[in-house]
Amino acid sequence: MNDELRKRAKKLGKGNFYDDFHVGQVFEHHWGRTINEGDNSLFSAATMSYNPMYFNAEVARAHGHPGTVVNPMLVFLTVFGLSVEDLSEAGGLFLGVENLTFHRSVYPTDTLYARSTVLEVRESTSRPDSGIVSWHTEGFDQQGRLVIDFRRTNLIPRRRAAK
Amino acid sequence: MTIRTAALTGARNYYEDFAVGDVYEHARGKTVTEFDNVIITNLVMNTAQAHFNEHFAASMPYKRRIVFGGVTAALVIGLAMQDTGENALREVGLDKVRLSSPVFHGDTLYAFSEVLGKSAPAVDRETLIEAGEVRFRHWGVNQDGKTVFEAERRALIKMRPAGAGA
Repeated sequence: MNDELRKRAKKLGKGNFYDDFHVGQVFEHHWGRTINEGDNSLFSAATMSYNPMYFNAEVARAHGHPGTVVNPMLVFLTVFGLSVEDLSEAGGLFLGVENLTFHRSVYPTDTLYARSTVLEVRESTSRPDSGIVSWHTEGFDQQGRLVIDFRRTNLIPRRRAAK
Repeated sequence: MTIRTAALTGARNYYEDFAVGDVYEHARGKTVTEFDNVIITNLVMNTAQAHFNEHFAASMPYKRRIVFGGVTAALVIGLAMQDTGENALREVGLDKVRLSSPVFHGDTLYAFSEVLGKSAPAVDRETLIEAGEVRFRHWGVNQDGKTVFEAERRALIKMRPAGAGA
């Protein structure tokens, strides 16, 4: 790519900054994600999550499930992941998660969607270039049933602090 | 060969086996590889490139890619799972999740757990299996003994079925 073209390229930034959030604001997050058997097996194996319900369909069926159960931590991380561009891609430390509830089992071929509501926006005394934002994030399946919800808090840079 | 599902999991991690106040050191650690962090971050659609773009991360305060906190959480809870969730009917929830120190590729994580509380067992309405909720605190500690992760977790754990041994 030559320099002239490169200079003309418009940077298409992603994400929101501290200044962009206000209490009560709702984000319907992008994409959704169908979880498949491979996702679940890879995730459960890589994280050594040794409850056979997540990787042995016979055991899962013996407990009343139609087949393997999606690892709840994969449900959590996928719903979290889908929320990142809107909420925290601009950077800043992940401070914590509170009150996370797994409401129902998710199975391979189910599709997850995520939505978040801004709960709190406050200044950071130690980091004047950033602020602290808390969201209530909810994950739904393809039938719109709530499968997970939690409160997440992050340090988020202010727009002027970002390069 | 007839498969008995109760024979596939441990016999010492049923509801009855957890005593409030017990603290466990889990047997295996895991070195967090670049593969673990990047594949899981991308698999779950986390778009924050500080976790998967080394060139970009070099310009950030830590000067290198940082492991996604969700990956740290999943690995530490994974390391504790055989002992504290192998016989779980289902996971109930998490609370007070803290990522107290950053984790980088090549760090090794170990898991510890404490039994914080138990609720009275009952027959689970969905599966008709007797189970009770156990509340744990889990810690993730790195190779230098530094705590990198802490959380409370609740899981519905089966009571020991007849013939599962003790």
